[in-house]
Amino acid sequence: MKEPDPDIELLARIGKNEPAAVNEMVSRKLPRLLALASRLLGDADEARDVAQESFVRIWKQAARWRPGQARFDTWLHRVALNLCYDRLRRRQERPLDDTALHDLADPALAPEQQLEAHDTRARMDAALAALPQRQREAIVLQYYQELSNIEAAALMEISVEALESLLSRARRNLRDYLAEPPGAAGLGRGKT
Amino acid sequence: MTPERFEHLADAYGADLRRWPAAEQVAARALLASRNARALAAVAQAGHLDALLDSHRVAAADPAFARRIAASAPSASFWRSHWNWWSRLGWVGVGVAGIAAGMLVASLSLPLGSGAEALPSIFDQNDADIVFTLNAEDSEQ
Repeated sequence: MKEPDPDIELLARIGKNEPAAVNEMVSRKLPRLLALASRLLGDADEARDVAQESFVRIWKQAARWRPGQARFDTWLHRVALNLCYDRLRRRQERPLDDTALHDLADPALAPEQQLEAHDTRARMDAALAALPQRQREAIVLQYYQELSNIEAAALMEISVEALESLLSRARRNLRDYLAEPPGAAGLGRGKT
Repeated sequence: MTPERFEHLADAYGADLRRWPAAEQVAARALLASRNARALAAVAQAGHLDALLDSHRVAAADPAFARRIAASAPSASFWRSHWNWWSRLGWVGVGVAGIAAGMLVASLSLPLGSGAEALPSIFDQNDADIVFTLNAEDSEQ
């Protein structure tokens, strides 16, 4: 591992029960976990459950974490991904419902901005949700979570070449989906 | 780098070369600098989808939820996990009960000084320390 793991020092402080370190870890990782799980599951409540369970694992692991092969952030993605997989297996990819879409609204936007952004956001929500699961994982890990291609491929247990193939198909499907008039789109699931 | 390779990578990783494999970035920049038409077209097409992807926002972390997660951290779990052990020591339980009863009697026998503000808030420090209003997207960018 060439670059030092940016989370190591924080983990050590958590291991010493420093309250400020606990808060810093929550500030640092909670948004990432919520973003990952929200985009993979399309359900804000389930995303919160995944984040909460992931933090239980963090607290257990913090004191005994040793710098090794994987970065802590990569390990954390592995944990959260597995929790997401469990949920996806249970519900067999049910589509996003209106409640979930409303829950994902960004409270930072003013009401008129929310209205303006709603159409675009709803289309993107639907487009991401319509992607086959592995393509969605690839685009979420590489694009939104900003993991390196090597990290994303390792998490998905595939080669970098296979990751690139999934990413290309995901982006092609998204372009096709978003190019269609609203209501006519139903692509993606069949285009694996 | 050939234009074909550039198109392949833009198709997978998008228009921002910083997201591309590190080993390919220098050659990709060189091809772009040469104003290669296919490379420029690939970047333009990928950039359009990137903009749409960037428009997808997720909910910001709710401060109350963040506080609950922080409260589940080691210090709290330590006492929970050790509670049974402490409980087995009967004399400790009796001692604590005795002290608590003594404090209750003492507090009931004294008037409260200045109302509710005289009571220390165990939440004040958490509220001050935790910045949990981060927008999820801000932390990703």
